[in-house]
Amino acid sequence: MSNIQMDDSKTLWQRWQRNAQRNPDREAIVHWVAGEEPTRWTYKNLIETAKKYSVKIKEAGIKKGDVCAIVMHHNPMFYPLYLGISRAGALPAVLAYPNPRLHPDKFRQGIEGMAQRSGLDYILTERELDPIIHPLIEKPGSTIRSVFFPLEWDIKKDIDPNADAEIEQIALSVKETDPILLQHSSGTTGLQKPVVLSHRAILNHVKNLGSALKLSEKDKIASWLPLYHDFGLIACFQIPLAYGITTIQINPFEWVLAPILLLEVITKEKATLTCLPNFAYNVLAEKIHDEELSEISLASLRAVINGAEPIRHDSHQKFVEKFKKYGFNPLALSCLYGMAEVTLSLTIHEPGKPIKELAVDRNELSRGAMKLADENSVARICVSSGRLIDGCSARIVDESRKDIADGLVGEVAVKSVSMFDGYRNYPEKTAEVVENGWYYSGDYGFRYKDEFYIIGRKKDLIIVAGKNIYPEDIEDAMNQVEGVIPGRVISFGEEDEQMGTEQIAVVAETKAEDDKEKNTLRMDILKAGMAIDVNIHKVYLVPPRWLIKSSAGKPSRKANKERIISREDKQVWSR
Amino acid sequence: MISQELKKVILTELNLDDFDLQDETIAPEVPGWDSLNHVNIILAVEKSFNIKFKSYEVLRMKNVGDLQKLVDLKTGK
Repeated sequence: MSNIQMDDSKTLWQRWQRNAQRNPDREAIVHWVAGEEPTRWTYKNLIETAKKYSVKIKEAGIKKGDVCAIVMHHNPMFYPLYLGISRAGALPAVLAYPNPRLHPDKFRQGIEGMAQRSGLDYILTERELDPIIHPLIEKPGSTIRSVFFPLEWDIKKDIDPNADAEIEQIALSVKETDPILLQHSSGTTGLQKPVVLSHRAILNHVKNLGSALKLSEKDKIASWLPLYHDFGLIACFQIPLAYGITTIQINPFEWVLAPILLLEVITKEKATLTCLPNFAYNVLAEKIHDEELSEISLASLRAVINGAEPIRHDSHQKFVEKFKKYGFNPLALSCLYGMAEVTLSLTIHEPGKPIKELAVDRNELSRGAMKLADENSVARICVSSGRLIDGCSARIVDESRKDIADGLVGEVAVKSVSMFDGYRNYPEKTAEVVENGWYYSGDYGFRYKDEFYIIGRKKDLIIVAGKNIYPEDIEDAMNQVEGVIPGRVISFGEEDEQMGTEQIAVVAETKAEDDKEKNTLRMDILKAGMAIDVNIHKVYLVPPRWLIKSSAGKPSRKANKERIISREDKQVWSR
Repeated sequence: MISQELKKVILTELNLDDFDLQDETIAPEVPGWDSLNHVNIILAVEKSFNIKFKSYEVLRMKNVGDLQKLVDLKTGK
């Protein structure tokens, strides 16, 4: 099986077109909807339809360099629309479609925050969101110029050759160093960091990650990951399209209701690769009845790549135990570590070999050193995230950003040929994390025998089922809850071993005394979380002045988390 | 109408004392009933009623009333 050779395309549009010329009838995207015949986009059809959309984009007044936020459900027309925006030289930015539990005001505030930060120019969405989004256009100082409903555009007619030629000229004027897309980190108003990636960054990444994965013409990637997430967008959309292979896209909303969908897709389409955040291994292994799996075969899989949240040994074990009788090869387990700031991946474990795992002394590790566990140790199993991919360098550094020895725990600093061009309109934030070309990730880990082990985070970010959540967003919402002492609340991630992910805990000071009052307050806290589409898993209520303050005078997340978890305290009410 | 038995299973799984569950109630309206928890609620209902749902049956449920109907069908009520 031959590996695919990259050509000299300078932009993604050029690459996609060449793929369509080389293999016009090959399936580019299989759009999967449960219980229906999938929509199958060949490379030829995809490009032809993308051209039609690019004409509509131009007619709508969207110009080269404009940022187009796409907020759409799982829809087969999303893909040519995305490519069409890119052909017109504009920058697509995929945003999550609002969950019904998210309060419309919060959704609007989120879009407004993103618009102010990233300078969103246009929103391409569905009609039902118009009442929520439209007021933003009229707001003084808004960057959003218009809202469009591309699913209503008539693209049946043949394309006007003159318009097509004009747009092709625009596409040809795009340079490899020009931005291709904007990727937003999680968070609400003001906290999102818009990552700008160039054509060159993505093409470099596609080449280097694809080569580490030994992608070949026969590979097919199955994915349920949302395309507003870099793991979904880069690994399961950009990479297969740039390589000219097939991606099968499952509706993320359907997958969470029926996880078996992914296994059916792998079986029916003979997919060879898939990407999963850690919690999905637990869900697939433990939440599907065996009698539903009688027709499932995972024998075609040569790589199941774990990423987007900390990798847990137990989750891999459960997955292998469950699926080896369905043809799953344990050597197909793989994992990667990275971040949107380097396009996606810094390290990867090469599929086909066992993943390295180290049993280390937990106490020594918490003191900052990796020591292999002995009979006296309380052991923690650290799972390797693999080795550096080509084009990437990494250092492990101390708090003053000086290199430290292998086996010592420090912050991961990264340099890559696929580095981002900074956070859009946010030079002060970029300067905080980039110094002399090195991106300081805020993740803690160690290097051992050229493999990287990620064990924690300097930042207080919470990762629930692969989704990054800022504690500040939760605390802001909790501060508005009547009964919570304003400014006296923290939130943090608490390990949920059963689900293989973190869950959100809130600690709030309150004057509430009896159980009834506290239960009412807990419900109000849960509802405040719902309004920002966050599920508060556990509420801890504590009396006034209980929370430990940091030197800056604010309640410390780290110290209070340790206090809550490590000690029994009769003053703490929890549920 | 949602039976007391089904309501109890759901509320126990969500660690809630009470919540007004109606036929038309949808998951996002209920505290704690998110996509991650959904699968646990379905498994708890299956265990409590000693029934099994097919994935496609779960996919087609739009609200708690649909869940009740499916439970009734499977338990022969």
